[in-house]
Amino acid sequence: MVYEPKIIAFLCTWCSYTGADTAGIARLKSPANIRAIRVPCSGRVAPEIIMRTFDQGADGVLVLGCHIGECHYDSGNHRTAKRLPILQALLSFTGLGPERLRLDWVSASEGERFSRIVNEFTDTIRALGPAKWRVECEESRLENASAQDTSSHAAEQAFHLTAQASTITQSIRDKAEELLSSGQVSCVIGYETGTHGRTRPAFIYDKDSVDRLVWNQDCTNNLTTYLRTALDSLAQKKGESARTVAILVKPCDSRAINVLMAENRFDRDKVYVIGVACDGMRETRQTNGDSAILQERCQQCSDRLPAVYDFLVGEPPQVQPVSITVQKVADLESMQPERRMEYWLSQFDRCIRCYACRQACPMCDCPTCLYERDDSLWVGSRIGLNEKRTFHLGRAFHLAGRCVDCHECENVCPMDIPISLLNRKLAQEIHSVFGHRAGIKSTPSPFVTILSGEERLP
Amino acid sequence: MKYISRNELSKLISDLVHEATIIAPRNIDEVLLYRPIQDYQDIEWHFTRPVLSIKEMLFPATDQLLHIEKTGQEIVLSDVLPEGKQVIFGVRPCDARGLKILDALFLDTPPRDINYASRRADTTIIGLACQEMHETCFCTSVGGYPDDPQDMDAMLTEADDGYLVQIVTEKGQALFGERVKPVVGPMVVPSLVSSPTPAIPSPDAIDWPSRFNDDYWDHLAERCLSCRICGYVCPTCRCFIVRDEATTSSNGHKSFERIRCWDTCTSEAYRRIAGGHNPRAAKGQRLRNRFFCKFHYYPQQYGPMACTGCGRCIELCPVNIDIGEVLQDIAEVVP
Repeated sequence: MVYEPKIIAFLCTWCSYTGADTAGIARLKSPANIRAIRVPCSGRVAPEIIMRTFDQGADGVLVLGCHIGECHYDSGNHRTAKRLPILQALLSFTGLGPERLRLDWVSASEGERFSRIVNEFTDTIRALGPAKWRVECEESRLENASAQDTSSHAAEQAFHLTAQASTITQSIRDKAEELLSSGQVSCVIGYETGTHGRTRPAFIYDKDSVDRLVWNQDCTNNLTTYLRTALDSLAQKKGESARTVAILVKPCDSRAINVLMAENRFDRDKVYVIGVACDGMRETRQTNGDSAILQERCQQCSDRLPAVYDFLVGEPPQVQPVSITVQKVADLESMQPERRMEYWLSQFDRCIRCYACRQACPMCDCPTCLYERDDSLWVGSRIGLNEKRTFHLGRAFHLAGRCVDCHECENVCPMDIPISLLNRKLAQEIHSVFGHRAGIKSTPSPFVTILSGEERLP
Repeated sequence: MKYISRNELSKLISDLVHEATIIAPRNIDEVLLYRPIQDYQDIEWHFTRPVLSIKEMLFPATDQLLHIEKTGQEIVLSDVLPEGKQVIFGVRPCDARGLKILDALFLDTPPRDINYASRRADTTIIGLACQEMHETCFCTSVGGYPDDPQDMDAMLTEADDGYLVQIVTEKGQALFGERVKPVVGPMVVPSLVSSPTPAIPSPDAIDWPSRFNDDYWDHLAERCLSCRICGYVCPTCRCFIVRDEATTSSNGHKSFERIRCWDTCTSEAYRRIAGGHNPRAAKGQRLRNRFFCKFHYYPQQYGPMACTGCGRCIELCPVNIDIGEVLQDIAEVVP
């Protein structure tokens, strides 16, 4: 039996859907493989829907919209044109052939063009064979298909904490005391000493407690993830929305403040930023405290000064960054797509959907995550391989152009899934297309649509 | 006390592979997990604890309860029971104890959970005694011991070129059979490294209800991320959500499955009800529930307290919410 691919085509009702009619009237043949779905605009085809389509077993997805400049909603197809190539890059990075997703433009009068595109696409997919994207057998994937030797990249940069840690601690305490006693801020979010030799986030409300604050090589959490809840709860508790929060940020964390401000999450004058020129943080995985290896993100960090601050502590160290994640991304890209898919499946297999990556991420602050809705609209509730992959790829896509590269998602992952590789890959794509790096300035990413005014979520 | 050499154990595993799924701690990309093995070489023997407890082998993250098929006017519901025997090697005493605690709910309190019961009956637990207590372990504070064999079918203790075997149940006896030999002559058994008992107050001594309205929980929860790590890695957390979802069917009929998946009280969605109201909307309320459930609600309803002192939640919590510290703080408060 000849293999017949399953193809889903999303057709804009104003142009390509009508174009299909035109093709029919002209008695042009279209392959029966195409299942057409009529949408009001190609810009309405969410990337999540396309991912869901592949998840459900489609071999190819075709999105057809109006020619640029002819959108019935002014700029709907501009959004499509921005999104789809990035989505294609993401899916291809995780092992799906890029030819399986095609975006093109067909106007209502171009019956012949419609017919040509669908025939071409069907032939391409037929030649490629089944997509094998959907995982039918859920047996544990034990072996790492790539056997990627990550250790070769880690320069094992020894950690040498300069004498400045204790000086920084003192400056932070002094500043916190000043801010709290003058009433300029109601709360200082910083770090304190925890149990078992750990350092953890601390919320200081009282000038007599500032001695709890510390600075050391284990201040790894990105505190900006607490910022919005802290501001909200202060506003609720004190009934004064004018209250301000002071927050301690490393250079990577500071970029998150820029992104959040650009997305209208809070006003600049509500936050007092204490920036720390950072030496880097050490590996946190071991609790025994002997580890002296710098975290990967810190070895490759090229910004040792915060991008935004009101008060700066410490001197930036002179260190030459080494590129590790970039190299890992390149290594993966040089693999065969099948092996790349196997690699990612073996990584996602360990995921338990604990959502720690999302919860720790300052950028993931939707009131209800798309992937945790009660109606299972975008992803099923199984803790299965298809669902885990959908969640991770969807999250990566939502962070495209917004991820500040703090690697917090990977740090908190109990299963050591290399989530930051997905984010890095998309950051590279966004940078090459839009020349944008998230959080360097407080400007919104050109990739995402920022809602403003009345459109804003409550 | 009996003895089995490494060679003999290796042979035993090779023979068992044909009749049961053999599960043991394995190093998967530098992450230690209980996973199926093919032979003795696959087993990682030196470890504190795998990231996930053996709970996932008896109460899996996703469990299919029913298969639902619609043919014409008829809807057919059929039970889906797990099949096949499994033998789990290298189980630490705290994890074995976790199963005993789950038994109290799933087996001893009606209604009996048939999926759990079926897996439990088909599972043999071969434990491994701990030589020392890890920094975050506190089993001795909640009634366990690093070399306590009582909740296993048999326990191995490293000695010389093999293992001392303590047979506890008939299942354990049947598994080892004639392969274990009596101990002959002196044997080098590394003694348990005495580690200082962690200074964690006994949860029994705490008057839990009087602590319910403390501000403490809100302060503690300030740094909580509301992720699900603590619940999912815990050997005794057992909450789940049940859903019916469409599945792919091979015969063209509409088919669905009823599944239950892990869920946990620290996540925001856990208590959200129809209409969107959430009676446990604040992080502090959720975190409080976690500790009250372990040390107050569960013992009240089912008997044992729901903590084995394995220390996973302490080690893996990204923001250092430490169950030992919480007990200490709560015990210290003078009412």
